Amino acid sequence: MAIDTGIPRRFVTTTVEVEGREETKVVELPDHDPSPWGTDAELHVVGQRATRVDAPEKVTGRARYTADTVRVGMLHAAILRASVARGRATLDIEPAKAVAGVVDVISANDLERRIRLAGGVLFDTSVTYAGQPLAAVCADTIDAARRGVAAIVVRYEVETHVGTFAAAVADGAPAVRRSSRAPSGEAGRSPNLARSSPDVVERGDVARGLAEADVVIRRTYRTPVAVHTALEPHGAVAEWDGDRVTVWESTQAVFAVREHLAAGLGISQSSVRVIKEHMGGGFGAKTSAGAHTYVAALLARRTGRPVRCVNDREGEQADTGNRPSTEQRVTLGARRDGRLTVIECEADVPLGVGGWEGGPVGIFQELYSCPNVRTVERFAYVNTSPMTAFRAPGHVEGAFALESAMDAVARELGIDPLELRRINFASRDEKKNREYSSNQLLECYDRGAEMFDWTAPRVSEGRLRRGKGMAAQVWGAGGGPPAYAIVKINGDGSADVLTGTQDLGTGSRTILAQIAAEALGAKLADVRIVLGDTERTPYTGPSWGSMTTASVGPAVRAAAEDALRQLMEAAAEVLEVPGAQLVARDGIISTHDGSASIAFRALCDRLGDVMILGRGSRGPNPTGVGLGSFGAQFADVEVDAETGVVRVLRIVAVHDAGRIINPTLAESQVEGGIIQGLGFALFEDRVLDGATGVPLNANIHDYKIPTIGDVPRIDVALLDVADPTANHTGARGLAEPPIIPTAPAIANAVANALGVEVTELPMTPWRVLGAMAR
Amino acid sequence: MRLTVNGRPREISVAPDETLLSALRDTLHLTGAKPACERGECGACTVLLHATDDGLEPIYACLALALAHEGDSITTIEGLSTNGTLHPLQRAFIEQDAVQCGFCTPGQVLAGVALLSRDPNPSDDAILRAMSGNLCRCGTYPKIVRAVQDAAAIMRGTRGD
Repeated sequence: MAIDTGIPRRFVTTTVEVEGREETKVVELPDHDPSPWGTDAELHVVGQRATRVDAPEKVTGRARYTADTVRVGMLHAAILRASVARGRATLDIEPAKAVAGVVDVISANDLERRIRLAGGVLFDTSVTYAGQPLAAVCADTIDAARRGVAAIVVRYEVETHVGTFAAAVADGAPAVRRSSRAPSGEAGRSPNLARSSPDVVERGDVARGLAEADVVIRRTYRTPVAVHTALEPHGAVAEWDGDRVTVWESTQAVFAVREHLAAGLGISQSSVRVIKEHMGGGFGAKTSAGAHTYVAALLARRTGRPVRCVNDREGEQADTGNRPSTEQRVTLGARRDGRLTVIECEADVPLGVGGWEGGPVGIFQELYSCPNVRTVERFAYVNTSPMTAFRAPGHVEGAFALESAMDAVARELGIDPLELRRINFASRDEKKNREYSSNQLLECYDRGAEMFDWTAPRVSEGRLRRGKGMAAQVWGAGGGPPAYAIVKINGDGSADVLTGTQDLGTGSRTILAQIAAEALGAKLADVRIVLGDTERTPYTGPSWGSMTTASVGPAVRAAAEDALRQLMEAAAEVLEVPGAQLVARDGIISTHDGSASIAFRALCDRLGDVMILGRGSRGPNPTGVGLGSFGAQFADVEVDAETGVVRVLRIVAVHDAGRIINPTLAESQVEGGIIQGLGFALFEDRVLDGATGVPLNANIHDYKIPTIGDVPRIDVALLDVADPTANHTGARGLAEPPIIPTAPAIANAVANALGVEVTELPMTPWRVLGAMAR
Repeated sequence: MRLTVNGRPREISVAPDETLLSALRDTLHLTGAKPACERGECGACTVLLHATDDGLEPIYACLALALAHEGDSITTIEGLSTNGTLHPLQRAFIEQDAVQCGFCTPGQVLAGVALLSRDPNPSDDAILRAMSGNLCRCGTYPKIVRAVQDAAAIMRGTRGD
């Protein structure tokens, strides 16, 4: 069949920033793109402090998570994981089959196809990291499955592992990934360097910048490996019906899981249905099918019974991704008046056996105005579990180094650190040489300083040293296409909004309901959001990159407006007011002058079985404009100079994410980011045994996440300045920004309290005491 | 074994090494208590044990042997609301937005209920102490403190509902 594509243009090319990386997409222009809700838009539901729509289910235990999903005849699966970092494993699975309750055992020999995972190939007996899946057992109970795993006899031929960046790039280092060719083309190049390394990005002339500087500071910063540690582990329940499989998965990306699973099993995507109702956190780690997904699907197919496979905590901590560690060598130069003349960062990042190159230098290129900037990133593979995006990947690590270094410059120059940041404010996106759609960072500084009482001196008492510090943040958070939504108006006038996104706990279900209710002129209680089902809901991207509000929100609004337009056309016919201007509010359509009106319910009653279906999609992003979210955080700390214990007393956070759809939920998200940032600053550190490469704290007792007792007073302000250039809802993303500046704000406060800098995270007592002793 | 769960006497068979968490979730299908660490590190499996003095003790169901609770009375999150009326602390969790992903929420609510059963007017310090065995990765902690304070005030009758 031939189609004339000469008329009018329906597909355009647009760019979308995802986790700090820009992607180019060809997208369809929406049939209908609403006019922007500007700063003066009169909104009734959007902007309200509505309670979370799924909170009643969650406080009563009714909310069903993957780990709670039960299917008739369901079996339970457990995974055997490698206990060495590198070597060859030989398995004897027969003893497992003899364990009471065990139904099936699966290992490499049972796979018809190679199934690729982030860390290699499923059940590869060639071990490249501790925690690598080797086999799986399913049984009547999870205890029996675990006994089966324990019964498998594994013999390892242990080989020398590569545990650190330095070891990975050392002469003669063995190839960490067996697929890597060693040595590769370039003489002397380590086989473990990622293909893009070194990645050099430069603007201006750093030699000139150094020559022009009145002060130059040089520092080396180190950040730890951090583990997402969502309380619900990764998990899946798989059930086959003939040649079709349904998978309930704890995931941020139902469509990605479907794509991976279909490819891994060699079946069509239409044979795979992935469902995510509730999930117990993700933070970046749950964006693809994992070993647990394939194990559940494969064992379910082999046994003909549904199978649930949920990671145990050790597997979760050891093998579901992490924020890789960094070493960042930073040089900043500034003139006496505070103007930066040069920014340099050389960063080394050990990725684990896989993952993508999400390094720390992006924020060095963007946060401050500076003519001469040079960044070099090197990524190396090491024999540890692969990295995965973790809330603001790269920027969290980079912000610690850049913002600590900025305070070092401020001290050197005798300029107030906040003033130094105002002086170097980047009014435009110098990284990409373009304007921002909206940037209220200066206002964040001003509001934050006022709330925090920045100029007041902090008084120490004896060994308890008080200090204050602050740090800033930028993060690409404009979202973008593709994202689709369908609004179905039911016979009683209530509305179902179908869209494929996921609510991780962020509140997207609630804010999408608010956007739909606003656009539809409906009561919030009459709008139901249906998410996370590849069969029932149209496509949206993964819930990552602070993208959901700004990507799915506009699609939902467009779909709701499309439905309302049809409702109004029907109302004009029913009310016999053809051509009248109609308005809708709280589920009632009326003429502008109020002379005639009809409730959705009555209207739908009149329409009988006629169904109103609204369709909406996310239009392209504006061209040549940076879409960033900004913020500044301020920290008060108290450091015990004798024990080295850092106590954070207060955090003030001011963020600019465009229009705020629900201030309460937005504040909750900012608090959550800050608390994770606090953990990164003070406690969190995946510890590997240097001799064996085995993680020593793959649990939540020894991997320390913040408790309620660690949390200081947190004061949050959201500027709520609509950004109609970014998209027609005026909202940008807020999920990742608040974790970015917390650690450096705390580190700067510690330096302020003690007069010495702690340049390595986490700032444990012994590191603080070590810094004081130097 | 016999035990009372949410006010209802139950007779169930359990394996000698079975945890209370497994008995509640897999046998009684009460899945509000969550397995998250399975070694008493996170509190997501918290349920309430009715003590002899009528107080409520939060226990980690993942560490409790089911058989050790022969004859005991246990309240899970499913049994906290009565006739569809939410407990004041459940309402406070909703109103204060002390819920994000919700996975830890049943345990948090029950730990708070246990505290309020012992101390109707807890200080901030008492709240932090009582709730520090319940981890939340999303970071709802500030809102949890406010929810417990609010519910305490409502239950004492010093605040309008």
